[in-house]
Amino acid sequence: MLNTPSRRTMRLVTSGAAALAITAGLVACSAEESTTASGGDPVSGGTLTFASNGDTDCLDPHQSAADLAALYSRPILDSLVSLTDDGEVHPWLAKSWTVSDDQLTYTFELRDDVTFTNGEKFDAAAVKANFDHIVDPTTASALSAGYIAPFVAATVLDDYTVSVEFSSPFSAFLPSVATAYFGMEAPETLLQDPGELCKVIVGTGPFMSETGYVAQQGITYLKNPDYNWAPETANHQGAAYLDELVMTIVPEDSVRLGSLSSGEVDAIASIPPVNVESLEADSNLYTDSAAAPGGNYNYFPNTEMGVFADIDVREAFRMGIDFDTLVGSVYFGAFEPANSPIAPNTAYYDPSQESSYEYDADAAAKLLDDAGWVMGADGVRVKDGEKLAIQMPMISGAREQRDTLAQQVQAEAAKLGFEMVIESQDLGSYVEALGNGSYDLIEISWQRSSPDVLRTLFDSANIPDGGFNTAFSRYTSPVIDDSLADALATLDPDELTELYGTAQQEIADQVLVFPQYVFSYILGASTSAQGIEWEPQAFPIFYDAWKSE
Amino acid sequence: MTISTPVELIVAAPGRKSRGLAQAIARRIGIAVIVIWGAITASFLALKSMGGDPVQSIAGGVVQVTPELREQIIAKYGLDDSFFQQYLSYLGGVLQGDLGTSYALRRPVVEAIAEQLPNTMTLLITATVFAVAVAFIVSLTTAHRGKRVRSTFQALESIGVAVPAFWLGIMLITIFSFGLRMFPSTGANGVAALVLPSIALGLPVAATLSQVMRDTLEKTLDEPFIVTVRARGAGEFVVRVRHALRHSLVSVITLVGWLSGTLIGGAVVVEQVFSRPGIGRMIFSAVLNKDMPVVLGIVIVAAVFYVIVNTVIDLLYPIIDPRLR
Repeated sequence: MLNTPSRRTMRLVTSGAAALAITAGLVACSAEESTTASGGDPVSGGTLTFASNGDTDCLDPHQSAADLAALYSRPILDSLVSLTDDGEVHPWLAKSWTVSDDQLTYTFELRDDVTFTNGEKFDAAAVKANFDHIVDPTTASALSAGYIAPFVAATVLDDYTVSVEFSSPFSAFLPSVATAYFGMEAPETLLQDPGELCKVIVGTGPFMSETGYVAQQGITYLKNPDYNWAPETANHQGAAYLDELVMTIVPEDSVRLGSLSSGEVDAIASIPPVNVESLEADSNLYTDSAAAPGGNYNYFPNTEMGVFADIDVREAFRMGIDFDTLVGSVYFGAFEPANSPIAPNTAYYDPSQESSYEYDADAAAKLLDDAGWVMGADGVRVKDGEKLAIQMPMISGAREQRDTLAQQVQAEAAKLGFEMVIESQDLGSYVEALGNGSYDLIEISWQRSSPDVLRTLFDSANIPDGGFNTAFSRYTSPVIDDSLADALATLDPDELTELYGTAQQEIADQVLVFPQYVFSYILGASTSAQGIEWEPQAFPIFYDAWKSE
Repeated sequence: MTISTPVELIVAAPGRKSRGLAQAIARRIGIAVIVIWGAITASFLALKSMGGDPVQSIAGGVVQVTPELREQIIAKYGLDDSFFQQYLSYLGGVLQGDLGTSYALRRPVVEAIAEQLPNTMTLLITATVFAVAVAFIVSLTTAHRGKRVRSTFQALESIGVAVPAFWLGIMLITIFSFGLRMFPSTGANGVAALVLPSIALGLPVAATLSQVMRDTLEKTLDEPFIVTVRARGAGEFVVRVRHALRHSLVSVITLVGWLSGTLIGGAVVVEQVFSRPGIGRMIFSAVLNKDMPVVLGIVIVAAVFYVIVNTVIDLLYPIIDPRLR
């Protein structure tokens, strides 16, 4: 049962409409609400053990692109600003900031009372050292450097004032810099070999770990007793409640679930949707979930070649398959069906384009009939000798039963007269197919902290050309390209609403995506583990967490 | 990859006793080198022919690689060299004890493997000891016993061989960790954490061994010399343990050597199920990430392990059976 109601303790619901309503509530609520309504007052002390589902390649989020690098590094690292799940930016290590009129320069006023746990002072030079580290070629940053591609330089203006300069306006900067991938690390440690930082990082955060990250085992943190600079978005100030936080790695779902129900651990990551109900039935346990902002788990048609080059065929595929129901049945309502390329809790999400994604099988069949696709004797439609065939590469061992979902989609597509072939591939071959555009349909999820994810996914400049890139539908639309470019150059909310709205509508009109579900992180915990909060990117954070008797 | 037929080698040895030990050792080392070289070459070919862009794998899979980063990676890992050059420079590195740098872990492969190897070795050794002990006890107590006893154990053994280690592991955890709370379900801290994984890994091996062992024991017990031993008034225990057992040992340890390869494969599954750190889990994620240096490094370690186990077994033959000296 849910006995820690909070803004994010979404009840797992089965109907799509209810899910949307709840999400709307989730976005609207403020961050100051307490999560401890019925759990009593927080107490200090104790150890909380959290079993995660996998390894990160490297602890240092400046280097790694792994989601888990953000989870494991977050207790140690603070960021310049903090982000709430409604997309609002709040001060953190930076007290305030200004943006120049040409939007090329961001100037941060820093707190002057912050120290790293190795004794170093946090100041403007430390911020500069971190940005320099991220873009340093020897860091070989897999994510954060690419996040701030227009970065030119960070400049120390005085002890506690630093400016960051870009070559072109970049309105997505603040939401990006709020993520753990831009966590501030102690400057001295940044001089080490990058490999060392994959094990031990030092920050200003509420926890520290001298032993660091041990591959396949996890990481143990001790509380930073001097911590006194939590963001205003947190539920309390001062040191963390927990004396010790242990993150272990238990890759097997069933073993992780058993460790929680037998009391070996206090909380676990990634509850398989099928197990949510049985876990909720145990009065000593609860589940909590948070939807990730940014790109949903989407199918993208290749609009450059094959049958999906024809917009009518794309439209028929979108209308003719009841994706919402499929998602509901595969995930038992634990994941919300998606009706947009981006999650509803992404800033500047436009709900008005949702209607474009409605199901109407008869209209779909008619559209195909009218376009000249004749149903053949084998149940596959044919036009001018060409079969209505689509091929979809998938990474083998896909997470979250995505292969099951794909098979359901395949079965539904067959009813429409599509011959859909799913090709299971290893990561390397998948990325190669993606780069060459040798697919009709490709599936991927792309969670990010800002609506600039639309540019990542649909700007024609990002169409893969050999190597990996992200505009998977390979479509060039001046409307999309221009409105997303303009959105980077403004910070005015009204303009942003209009520009991002235009782009989302054009994406819907051109049928560039078949959205599947909004990825939600489902956490399971014992009722003795209270106050576990969420990073806006939908992974748990433990600063406000505490253990009851 | 079988390294040789150990029995043959040793059986042939007495005839060439005069040519000395040195030659036997040289021969053994030669075979070991060929085995390891073969394993490296086969894995290198297999991994290189898998397709996919190595730069992309090194950068971390599904990430965008800027042209600068691409150039840097190509230069760092020598990816613009020809296939043959890459192969030779890898072999050259191996000869100097350098297995390269892991793509995903960003650290020397030797270091990464050295960190995890003790965990896996401990597991392999305890699983083997467990398997051999179980096989000894079961086969010694059931050979030539009543039909009902034998067929019961034969059925159990067949199940033991057939049960997937994955399922067995989950069952053991459910009963002994979550149910009875006797042993931890995860990790590698202390002896208690070793119990369940060793059983999960060792039980199928124990089942195979005890089948073979009982067969040979029964054959031995039918030999005329056993009648002689019994005639001298030896008790059943002495007959079985002192006389019959020794004869069946040769075939058992040959099988143990052969099964040691299977055990390494089983460790991949068992380490995953029990969240146990080790090279089994390491190779699992390395294959998924196409982390070629780690895969090759672990293949080498596995080949060396296999060679060592079989060498030790060859050395044991003459001790067990003096006729082979």
